[in-house]
Amino acid sequence: MEVKQEAGAPEKIKPPTKLEDSGELEIRIKKYLRGDGANLEALQDKKLRGQLTVREKLYGKSAEAAAKAEKWLMPSEGGFLEAEGIEKTWRIRQESIAREVDISSSRNQYDIVLPDLGPYTLDFTSSGRYMAAAGRKGHLAVVDMKNLSLIKEIQVRETVRDVVFLHNELFFAAAQKKYPYIYNRDGIELHCLKEHGAVLKLQFLKNHFLLASINKFGQLHYQDVTTGGMVGNFRTGLGRTDVMQVNPFNGVVALGHSGGTVTMWKPTSSAPLVKMLCHRGPVAALAFHPNGHIMATSGKERKIKIWDLRKFEVLQTLPGHANTLDFSHKGLLAAATGSFVQISGNFSESQSYSRYMTHSMAKGYQIKKLLFRPYEDVLGIAHSMGWSSILIPGSGEPNFDSWVANPFETSKQRREKEVRSLLDKLPPETIMLDPSKIGTMKPPSRKQKPTKQERESEMEAAVAAVKDMPIKKKTKGRSKPSKSAKKKQDIIVRTKRPFLEQQMKEEEALSRKKQKASEEAELPKSLQRFARKKAT
Amino acid sequence: MAEKKSKSGDSGRPNNKRNQSMSKTLPKDKNNNKKLKNKRKRTGPRLPNALRKEVERLNPLRPSDSEGEEIDSDEAEFGNGRDVYEYEEEAPPEESRRNRRFDPVDNLEYELPDEFEDEIVSSDDEEDVGRSDDANLSDAEAEDDEGRHIRMLQEITGMPSETFQGKKRKKGDLVVSEAYPESEFNPSHNVGDGDGRITIQDLLDPLHGKAGYSKLRKRTSQMERKPMSIQAPLPKPYREKLERKVAYEQSKKDITKWEPLVKRNREAPTIYFDQDLDLGFSTVGAIASEFEPRTEFEKKIASLVHDDKVKEAHEKDGARLLELNKTSIEDEKERRDRIAKMRSLLFRHEIKQKHIKKIKSKTYHRLMKKDRAKATSAQIEMDPEAAKEQAMKQEFKRAEERMTLKHKNSSKWAKRILQRGLTTQDEGTRAAISEQLHQHALLTRKMNSMKDGSSSEESSDEYDDENSVGSDQDKENLLAKAKEKTLKVFEEDDEVPNTGVLSLPFMARGLKKKRDAAVEEARLALQEYESSSKQMEDSQGIEDTKENSMKGRMVFGAVQLQAPGANNVSKSEKTYDDSDGEDDMETRENIDGGSHSGNDMQNQVQNGSTVLHPDSETHDYSVFKSFDDIVKNPGAKTTYEVAIFASDGWRKMKGSNKETAMKKKQDLLEPASQKKDLEEASGDSDTESEGQMVDGILSSGPTQSYELPSQADLIRHAFAGDDVEEDFDKHKMEILNEENPEPEKPIVLPGWGQWTHIQQKKGLPSWMLREHENAKKTRQDALKKRKDAHLKNVIISEKVDKKAEKLHTKSLPFPFTSKDVFEQSIRMPIGPEFNPATAIGALNRPEVVKKSGTIIKPIKFEEVNPHEKAEYGNEQKHLSKKKEVGKSSKKNRAKAKN
Repeated sequence: MEVKQEAGAPEKIKPPTKLEDSGELEIRIKKYLRGDGANLEALQDKKLRGQLTVREKLYGKSAEAAAKAEKWLMPSEGGFLEAEGIEKTWRIRQESIAREVDISSSRNQYDIVLPDLGPYTLDFTSSGRYMAAAGRKGHLAVVDMKNLSLIKEIQVRETVRDVVFLHNELFFAAAQKKYPYIYNRDGIELHCLKEHGAVLKLQFLKNHFLLASINKFGQLHYQDVTTGGMVGNFRTGLGRTDVMQVNPFNGVVALGHSGGTVTMWKPTSSAPLVKMLCHRGPVAALAFHPNGHIMATSGKERKIKIWDLRKFEVLQTLPGHANTLDFSHKGLLAAATGSFVQISGNFSESQSYSRYMTHSMAKGYQIKKLLFRPYEDVLGIAHSMGWSSILIPGSGEPNFDSWVANPFETSKQRREKEVRSLLDKLPPETIMLDPSKIGTMKPPSRKQKPTKQERESEMEAAVAAVKDMPIKKKTKGRSKPSKSAKKKQDIIVRTKRPFLEQQMKEEEALSRKKQKASEEAELPKSLQRFARKKAT
Repeated sequence: MAEKKSKSGDSGRPNNKRNQSMSKTLPKDKNNNKKLKNKRKRTGPRLPNALRKEVERLNPLRPSDSEGEEIDSDEAEFGNGRDVYEYEEEAPPEESRRNRRFDPVDNLEYELPDEFEDEIVSSDDEEDVGRSDDANLSDAEAEDDEGRHIRMLQEITGMPSETFQGKKRKKGDLVVSEAYPESEFNPSHNVGDGDGRITIQDLLDPLHGKAGYSKLRKRTSQMERKPMSIQAPLPKPYREKLERKVAYEQSKKDITKWEPLVKRNREAPTIYFDQDLDLGFSTVGAIASEFEPRTEFEKKIASLVHDDKVKEAHEKDGARLLELNKTSIEDEKERRDRIAKMRSLLFRHEIKQKHIKKIKSKTYHRLMKKDRAKATSAQIEMDPEAAKEQAMKQEFKRAEERMTLKHKNSSKWAKRILQRGLTTQDEGTRAAISEQLHQHALLTRKMNSMKDGSSSEESSDEYDDENSVGSDQDKENLLAKAKEKTLKVFEEDDEVPNTGVLSLPFMARGLKKKRDAAVEEARLALQEYESSSKQMEDSQGIEDTKENSMKGRMVFGAVQLQAPGANNVSKSEKTYDDSDGEDDMETRENIDGGSHSGNDMQNQVQNGSTVLHPDSETHDYSVFKSFDDIVKNPGAKTTYEVAIFASDGWRKMKGSNKETAMKKKQDLLEPASQKKDLEEASGDSDTESEGQMVDGILSSGPTQSYELPSQADLIRHAFAGDDVEEDFDKHKMEILNEENPEPEKPIVLPGWGQWTHIQQKKGLPSWMLREHENAKKTRQDALKKRKDAHLKNVIISEKVDKKAEKLHTKSLPFPFTSKDVFEQSIRMPIGPEFNPATAIGALNRPEVVKKSGTIIKPIKFEEVNPHEKAEYGNEQKHLSKKKEVGKSSKKNRAKAKN
């Protein structure tokens, strides 16, 4: 293997901007307050009001402390390319960047050429320290990206379609010809997941420890990797697809289908949570913004659409075709088709994405997958001739949280973190469109009123139950047939009464509503003032 | 008489005082006095009360009485009396006292108060003057009497009158008698009236001058002045109720002072109950400073440690310590010698032990064991402690045996033997079994004597030694032994006696027959042993093969394939070694025996590995070589090969650089052919994958070329999903209908009302139509309420996830009444992952902070400003309080939670 470094021309990297302290702090505090508190003045309950005031005060303090901590503990701010005069940022080539950056950064520009073992696909661990590369023709490799050393390389001698790291670099799953397999870092096969079938695409949900896969027959599988249990197995019914992406915000798995639809799934429901028609052509690629609110899709009809997932509306439609899409930590969107990579970003205050950088590989290289390396300004490109890596200034999050993802993790820390993350493992039912709704009131169940037939049948059943009741034998002519018949009638009437009353009530309410509506509808505006005011 | 006068003089002053205090009564009294003077003249015999009242009724009041004096009953009565008996001028003789026929003392008790009063009143009236008048009057009389008396005394004693006078004066202070001489000027109307009433004044007067008198008098005068009717006391329950009410008011007032304190505690988010606990010493130094040497040794040490010299040396540079440390050469020598001796002793002991350890003789060990047992038994006899220990050991063993039933034929070996039947076993086995049972019996028997136990223990130990190796090993051992024995039998059989009875031909024949039978039996037995041993071997072999087969799937590269093979070989060798070690015969038999499945397998694998080994090596080499090639020729990279992804298969187009490609192909083809061999050699499990792989590599051949898809294909591909939107709409409608089914259209039941054609004309009944309309409307409403109602190309599932329901709260928690307030109150996470460390404590602090073991004392009163805004920065307050507590000794500041 060879690491090829490119040389380049100078460009300015913008220094971190300094905002006014107070305003910035306020903005940060607002961020950490996570929304407004309730209007406590309106509360009737004095005690509750007191308690809530105390809580709110504590929240305020906590937010302020957090904002200050953020200010002092996260000093580095990401920069980005800034053009001067008639320069354009997308004209800047990798060579010119390499000339400007330090040695350790310039080491991240290289091409690894492996022509034999087919188009490659990549996956990074969440810290960005390790990379798994899988060649179509059975080449699996785990690389330490810090010192660019190959940890393990194996040849499985069958088609490998996808590779994905599990919770840490010790395990990775590879979708092979017939089944997906799980290997450890030493290349030892640990599991063969036969239930998944011939998997086209794999995804791992880190917080839930679920391995999601979509197979040739369009079946979506969720497997818990801690217990080994199959959590979900759904037929999408929308045909074969290899476009799958997990929303990092809520763990919802999105699939792109040939009908131009994107479906979103959770492991506890057999029907998709959301099904949206995104493109008129087949969906070619799919990516989620790390904050989970923005989704980018590309269709075969040469359109890239950016969606707001809170409203399920298109934010922006970009022209062009993309075989693969990826969002960086900072929200840059990389799209690639053929051997051409384009990165767009929304640096201006407007939400629209515009061209930021471009890069073209050697002619003939077919890019299979783009993946931003976490916490680095690096974009990994997996293509038909191996993989490459280029610098995209401003793409990575500059401050890493060592409790979340530590690129400099020691083995002891890794073990510690594994245990911790297992303890914090989320059950699969916590996957939902809006996970912030957990703990709130149950949404009012749309309990449908029983239909008329149901009501009638219920009433009939009640009547039948009463009818069959034996009547006590009484003396002195009180159990005469006439008397007993009357009694029976009485009982039936009594059982029917509540049903009838309810029915009447409903009807009444309905008629009143209707009347109201009709009144409102009837009178023209000019005459409405003469309408009888209802005494309320 | 003199006594009377003195009395009046004495009593005059307090009365006077009284009158000064109540000015209002003064004039009345004045009148009284005057009247009294008049009355004196008009007194008559006293009428009974009833009669007098009657008279009073008959006679209207005189104007003189219209002064409103009716109130004073005494006065009124008096007045009436006067009116009635006005005609009677003469006083009774005993009253008038003039003639002195009656003893004045008789009346004293009755008269005194009234007279006093009168006298007082008079004195009051004219203040000093009046009194002096009175005094003059009385004095004149008294002097008369005195004069006579003195004269009489003078005459008797012959002493001057002055002496007696002085004496009398003195006496007069003490003697109390009738206040006044009875005369018309000094009337004692009471007596005269016969009215024996006692006024309060009468009762008060004797108390005159005593403590509390003035108070009493005041009260009485007050009562006189403001006379009011006293009501009858209330019934008890009412009284008590009132009392309770008053008490309640009082206690209410008392308790309100606690209110701000309690309020503060109620409103506080956290209440702290901690005292400063005295944990004693906190540092080692503190403990050391308190140390006092008690024992002799400690004292000695202390004396050395606290030696002045040493201390001084320490305080200085410590150089003097060296001087203090001096030892003599002799001492050092002695020490060295001692140590050398000890070392040599140790060494010898060690050598000895090593030697002993090396001894392998069984007899030696047996003897040693016996010795040890003896020693222990001796010790048991000597030492009760050791005996106890031994007994304990024995008991433990017994318990263990009872628990595990180790010797109750529960071992694998014993079970097998029993399964086969004891009768078919040979002597040794049976003996062993019975021995074991005996062992069990011994162990489980209740121990009475120690000796028995010890012997059994010994035997069991021996037995254990034999059996401890493990059941498998056991079996082998046994088999080996049995074989040896049978072989011995063979050998013995060979020697035939030449002389004696046995050498006789028939005997010899009989013997031979017997021997033959025995030999036959022995052979059979031998065969059995062999078969059994073989079985054991086989089972091991099967296990091995199993392991191998398990590893069979893990074939990633040839290197890995080779590894298990080698492993296998080594393993098989190992097993052979083992068996060799056991018995030569066995291996021989094993090899000769018919069933060699395991062995065969191993051979096979060995072959396989030998076949594979070179191949894999070369293959690896080639792969790496190809990589190397690529790395070496980076220049060719740009125009190397173009691979295009089409559907699933991979095809390679030839690049311009044919030479390198060809080279590579050659490289690749070589391993491919080798791989074929490999495929054949290896098991059938991997065939599919390898086939694919071979395909993949073969497909890289130069003959294939990429065909561009036709234009029609491309167009079809591009517009494959043209009617996508319609499809989607349809699908959406389907889903909506599924979730909110469309109401059924009202239909006419066949036959109902049709024969009259009325219904046909009228159409459907109105109620049906109405119902249908309602249903439609509800459906529309439901559809409108959907989240995706306004989103044309989106379907958001409204299905309720039952599993996720548990993540929501079912109902509003108690104090909350509004959903929004509740949800906003839980919007902030409070865990350590989401908050800075400084805020977590406050966010998660419990309502009550209390160290375990702290006694919660009842609430203590302290001044709290009720208008003070409750402090919520409780922590600081708490801290400050803590400091305060620390300063102000051990004052308990436990706040009670109310």
